[in-house]
Amino acid sequence: MENTVVKIENLVKRYGELIALDHFSLEIKEGEIFGLLGPNGSGKTTTINCLLSLLSYDKGNIELFGKKMTPVSYDIKKDIGVIMQNVAVLNELTVYENIDYFCGLYISDKALRKKYVEEAVEFAGLGDFVKFYPKKLSGGLLRRLNIACGIAHKPKLIILDEPTVAVDPQSRNRILEGIEELNRAGATVIYTSHYMEEVEQLCTRIAIMDKGRKIAEGTKEELKRMIRNTETVTIEIIELPEEVRAQIASLPHVYSAEHDGERLVICCSGGKHNLIRILDVLQSRDLGFGRVYTELPTLNDVFLEITGKALRDKED
Amino acid sequence: MFLHIFKYELLSSLRVKDLIIWLMIFPIALGTFFKIAFGNVYARNTEFSAIPAAVVGAENDPAFRNVCDSVSEGDEALLKVTYTDEKTALEMLERGDVEGIFYAGDEVMLTVAGSGLGQTILKSFADRYSVSAAIIKDALMNDPASAPAVIAAISEDVSSCREIPLTEGNTDNMVQYFYNLIAMVAMYGAVTGLHVSAGNQANMSPLGARRSCAPARKSVSIAASFLGSCIIQGLCMVLCVSFVAFALGVDFGSRLPLVYAAALLGGCMGVSIGFFVGALNMPESAKTGVVMSFSMLMCFFSGLMVGNMKALISAKAPWLNMINPAAVVSDSIYCLNIYSDYRRFIVKMISMVIITLVFVALGLILTRRKKYASL
Ligand SMILES: Nc1ncnc2c1ncn2[C@@H]1O[C@H](COP(=O)(O)OP(=O)(O)O)[C@@H](O)[C@H]1O
Ligand SMILES: [Mg+2]
Repeated sequence: MENTVVKIENLVKRYGELIALDHFSLEIKEGEIFGLLGPNGSGKTTTINCLLSLLSYDKGNIELFGKKMTPVSYDIKKDIGVIMQNVAVLNELTVYENIDYFCGLYISDKALRKKYVEEAVEFAGLGDFVKFYPKKLSGGLLRRLNIACGIAHKPKLIILDEPTVAVDPQSRNRILEGIEELNRAGATVIYTSHYMEEVEQLCTRIAIMDKGRKIAEGTKEELKRMIRNTETVTIEIIELPEEVRAQIASLPHVYSAEHDGERLVICCSGGKHNLIRILDVLQSRDLGFGRVYTELPTLNDVFLEITGKALRDKED
Repeated sequence: MFLHIFKYELLSSLRVKDLIIWLMIFPIALGTFFKIAFGNVYARNTEFSAIPAAVVGAENDPAFRNVCDSVSEGDEALLKVTYTDEKTALEMLERGDVEGIFYAGDEVMLTVAGSGLGQTILKSFADRYSVSAAIIKDALMNDPASAPAVIAAISEDVSSCREIPLTEGNTDNMVQYFYNLIAMVAMYGAVTGLHVSAGNQANMSPLGARRSCAPARKSVSIAASFLGSCIIQGLCMVLCVSFVAFALGVDFGSRLPLVYAAALLGGCMGVSIGFFVGALNMPESAKTGVVMSFSMLMCFFSGLMVGNMKALISAKAPWLNMINPAAVVSDSIYCLNIYSDYRRFIVKMISMVIITLVFVALGLILTRRKKYASL
């Protein structure tokens, strides 16, 4: 029997004129790693802050562990571990003291706390840095400290808001593995990110957000089944007569073929041997081409197809 | 929980080195500057509780001699009397060894060189003595047994002329600068107290938001932060008063412990002002500006920059001196050193408590909110 840990119903949040959350609903079961995926500004942080009762909202209902969440729900708060988007640590305390400080807001038993703090240090791989002040830590280590401060008290529900922004790949992997480990130990996880690869790798269930709305929800397989794209073929080719492009576009199972002067990108929906048929066309015209690769659909394709725009920012 | 937050509040505040350094360096620099600038004038004036004076012809006037002896005794002596002949006395006056010469006799006469606080007191002493002289002489003649009591009573009365500086508006300006310096450090408590509200409010700092997620009551968290800040500020106050008293040599006499008490209370008042300003809805950077300018303005009105400012205000707008936190701190120390009774000092202390409570209450009203429309 799976318990519902998080239940958000018809949440509406306005910042003045801007509707940041538009009838947003969500249900998260115990034991899930739930991904909130969406581009910057889609309302992920706003959702989290409403969930934590930090933000007031215009409409909707939020329940955690089956109880209504309010700013004074201390019994709920003690079971939540929060890792906020903005690193929140005390600059004048060392790594160890910071973890102890935050852990102490939840756990008053000193011996137990000591054990927990040491485990969190170990967990975040901060063992060599316990005496460091936050200012001396690299971006990745600082994020790891932020996480350690959030999870040291062994919460049942862990909320991470973009914990890997501006983090080096090594720290990023460590963070993702850590989250899986916490989940195996029994924690339910909410993970927000605008990196689809992370969400795809980590999350058991995913909600895709755009402009304050949930545009799709499911496991990654379910999400991918929702769209017609099954395969994207990319061919490096400089010169491509328009009638050839049109011929490729009219092949069975091909629903789009676009050429940007360097690359021909062909989207296919179902069918087999799509690649062979496409290459046959090019060879029959004696057109030379460079590298050829095919990709299975990603969450970006899901996002692209539903919203008509790419999820990934160009800078990343 | 309270102790846990309190412990880390203290630890982290103690490590904010710039805060403590700035809290201390500016006053130390300013104090040293005052000391250098007013060194001479001030050295003379601090001796005012024992003004050197020469008495000529005392051997023929036992009554006057008796009174002079009795006001020259003890810690709180008014005079430092030298009995001598006229020639030596004049030489001493010329050298500045004494501030005036009393000529004993039927009518006590006074000669002074120049005018100043000491001279004013000597003058008033002579006047008051003249009024009472007949009573003493009568006592010595007719009832020698009661003489000591009469002399004691009259000495007490003439000693009260040390309060003349205030009633005549002739304040000891130099020493007031140091009182104001202590008041300034107390006002800096506002800078120390700023983070109490910001650090506990979700819409004011990431740390505030993070803390709001923990199952700790906001009131507990604020109380722990507030107390921590008061203790840090108290430390600064103790350092400041010690610096003024021991390094700069401002003499607070036996009242020094009470000066510490006034400074500590003043520091808490400063923290409460910071707590209030911190809770106002404005950008963090603006808040520091606001508290700094507010403290400086208050210190200006209490005479930190211009010595006779306070006298001016007490003439033109006495209510301002009663509510200006900086003036209340410096006045409390001033009262300690001017009046022998504690009444006015206690009034000032109560004013500080009231101002503190008002700001704490306002701050609590502003920080009461639990959910915010925007973070
Ligand atoms: N405090 C605020 N005031 C006004 N608008 C805000 C505020 N915070 C966020 N927004 C707006 O709300 C939308 C959602 O923001 P946010 O929840 O931070 O998105 P995300 O976390 O997905 O990047 C954005 O358009 C953002 O500009
Ligand atoms: Mg965000």
